[in-house]
Amino acid sequence: MSGPWVEKYRPQKLEDIVGQKQIVARLQKYVGEESMPNLMFTGPAGVGKTTTALALVKSILGEYWRQNFLELNASDARGIDTVRDRIKNFCRLKPVGAPFRIIFLDEVDNMTKDAQHALRREMEMYTKTASFILSCNYSSKIIDPIQSRCAIFRFAPIKAEEIKERLQFICENEGFETTDAGLDTIVYFAEGDMRKAVNVLQAAASEGEAITEDAIYEVVSKAKPQDIGNMINKALMGDFMAARNILRDTMVLQGTSGEDMVTQIYQDVSKRVIEGKMDANIYMDLIEAIAECDFRIREGANPRIQLEALLTQFL
Amino acid sequence: MLWTDKYRPQELSEVVGNKKEIKIITDWVNAWKSNDPQIPLLLVGPPGIGKTTLAQIIAKEFSEYIELNASDKRSQDVIKSTIGESSSSRSLFGDEYKLIILDEVDGIHGTNDRGGVKAIGEIIKSSKHPMILIANDFYSKRLQSIKPKCQVIKMKKSRWNSISALLRKIAQAEGVEVEPAALKEIAVKSQGDVRSAINTLQALADKDHTLNVSDVEGMVTKDTRSDIFNAITSVLKSKTPAHVKEALWIEEDPTLVMEYIAENIPREYKKKDEIKKAYDYISKADIFFGRTNVSRNYGYWKYATDFMGIGVSNSKHETYKKFTKIQTPTIFSTMSRNRGKRNLRDGIADKMTEKMHVSRAIAISMFPYLEIMFRNDELAWEISDFLELEDTEIKRFRSKKIPAKVVKKMEKQKAQMRVEERDRRAEELKNQMMNVIPEVEEPKEDALPFEIPGIGTSNAEEESVEEIEKETIEEPLPDLDEEIIEEKVEEKAEEKKEKKKTDKQVSLFSF
Repeated sequence: MSGPWVEKYRPQKLEDIVGQKQIVARLQKYVGEESMPNLMFTGPAGVGKTTTALALVKSILGEYWRQNFLELNASDARGIDTVRDRIKNFCRLKPVGAPFRIIFLDEVDNMTKDAQHALRREMEMYTKTASFILSCNYSSKIIDPIQSRCAIFRFAPIKAEEIKERLQFICENEGFETTDAGLDTIVYFAEGDMRKAVNVLQAAASEGEAITEDAIYEVVSKAKPQDIGNMINKALMGDFMAARNILRDTMVLQGTSGEDMVTQIYQDVSKRVIEGKMDANIYMDLIEAIAECDFRIREGANPRIQLEALLTQFL
Repeated sequence: MLWTDKYRPQELSEVVGNKKEIKIITDWVNAWKSNDPQIPLLLVGPPGIGKTTLAQIIAKEFSEYIELNASDKRSQDVIKSTIGESSSSRSLFGDEYKLIILDEVDGIHGTNDRGGVKAIGEIIKSSKHPMILIANDFYSKRLQSIKPKCQVIKMKKSRWNSISALLRKIAQAEGVEVEPAALKEIAVKSQGDVRSAINTLQALADKDHTLNVSDVEGMVTKDTRSDIFNAITSVLKSKTPAHVKEALWIEEDPTLVMEYIAENIPREYKKKDEIKKAYDYISKADIFFGRTNVSRNYGYWKYATDFMGIGVSNSKHETYKKFTKIQTPTIFSTMSRNRGKRNLRDGIADKMTEKMHVSRAIAISMFPYLEIMFRNDELAWEISDFLELEDTEIKRFRSKKIPAKVVKKMEKQKAQMRVEERDRRAEELKNQMMNVIPEVEEPKEDALPFEIPGIGTSNAEEESVEEIEKETIEEPLPDLDEEIIEEKVEEKAEEKKEKKKTDKQVSLFSF
């Protein structure tokens, strides 16, 4: 009994981290040192950036890690002032019982550029007392001066077998039945995202049945935004306004992120061609558009605008 | 009374700016007066610079005048019956000319005012009376056939210093004290719009208080919405790059302008390839806004503006001959309509960020799985307890309340686990102390304080308990691999430990 498994089974020590062996090996060298460079962890969601940061912090700061550690989340309305005030207040104090203090900033790519510049100044100011660990999905959205002040670690999606192994471990520990095909299906949908894999697993397990292929398919289809197929149908039929409205409602109300939307659209279209409901030529045109959109979302300012543009390609 | 009316110029000499243009107009009036008919005047220029005022001053020079403006229904019949007759038939006795003023000529729209432009053309041809036509938009298609038949006078925006001088006069007349810097601020912000400058001054004026710059600074002097609407209309209707560029020269957040253009593309453009092409330009504009954000190189804005302006404008084969109402982006209303739901959602997400080290966006992406998990009564209780959710928040994930029986059972289990947890921790502390300082023999004492977690500053008791426990295991047994530790944890959870532990050990650990 401990609520979400993603927390219960979060590895606490560096050596327990799944995948990312090279990164972990390099990070372990900082343990026991008198200082640590600023670090930047970049990579997609659910590959262990935060877990690694927390584990590293505990290894380095030891039993006093709580006193010497500041974690800032993207959802702290992070304007310039929040960044400055909280970091300043934290850095003003000398480290207690540890060689230095560590500040972990999650999703720095979502901070405004002004806040990033402010952050850069803070990073310079407190080099002696504090080290920063920054985490982001896209390092391209981080201003150059910050990138150049950090040792950058790129986290790759976690390998299928490594995810499967972890899922097996959880299943054994929780003591319930699973099938090989069931776990493979989770791994397939997780696309290297451990958080997603564990969430799917727990959701499936909560239904009280064995973890079979069918059970996973059911969870996955229940968990995805219901209107994607409908939206694509409208667009394919030429009703762009209706499709656009569904897109907006889904993103606003369910808070679905741009990347998730692209993935959902991709999966929906793929399913159509696999089931023979879509011509291969049309499919390839759409894939080109989807791929381009996926790329542009990273470059652009507003994912919704990019997705609206993608929908026009279905007309 | 509005100061714009109170201080409306009564003589041509009082009109601010446009001296050259006024000279031409004076000559035109004098020619008519000396019975020398002239072709109509077409006054073109942005709002608020005194075009209508000018026309009204001129009207005084004639015995009579007729004014039609945008609020009138301007079908062919209306124009013909009101102007047509009076324009072709002059009084037999008359040197008296009637001045015809036609305001907002470019506001005539094809479907609503069928033939309106054509009718004006005919009237110009047959009219024996002086006519003044007024329009905002020099490039408007509706003016194309009219322009050659008129003497076109392009009215310019007034300079800030002449506006400032006018404001000073008005302030003096009203007995309001205003710092010169404040006057300048208002004048500059009005962007050449005299009317808006005077309205702003009147809105801010306070007889008991000297108006200074700080009073003016936060003030948006002009309702820029009309600017946006004009700009969008130009992008969608025009095919002239120069015109589109000029129309987009507005002081407005360009990403907002982009939202407006995007919103209205499918409302105006009907061919699929046009919508695709236009939206692709919107997408490109957005990319450059993204690059601007990253690099803070605002020079990129000009590319974004061209993409969403000329790019979109040029995506149509030809201008649609229809009237399209420019819509405010529906995304704004969608967002405000769902504010309550979004607040609930964000509140839950914030609790998750705190307990689960995730960002708000990641937290929200986990909602669908939580919805499934919440169908299981016990798990629903566990997660709600873990996240400290309120009843309204639980409702977000399941419509039914968690049955009281389940709640009771789970609460009992939790209490039980707390006891076990406490015992286990105490045991571990003891073990640790034995390892760290095995030679010291602690005298046994009883009465263990219930609140053991004295180490961290964290308020998340459950979590801190777990962390500390892990730490304490790690220290003495650094070489154990993952599985053994996990096993150990399991074992300990199951075993019942003796209850009394030493107080000293705890306090030593938490100094």
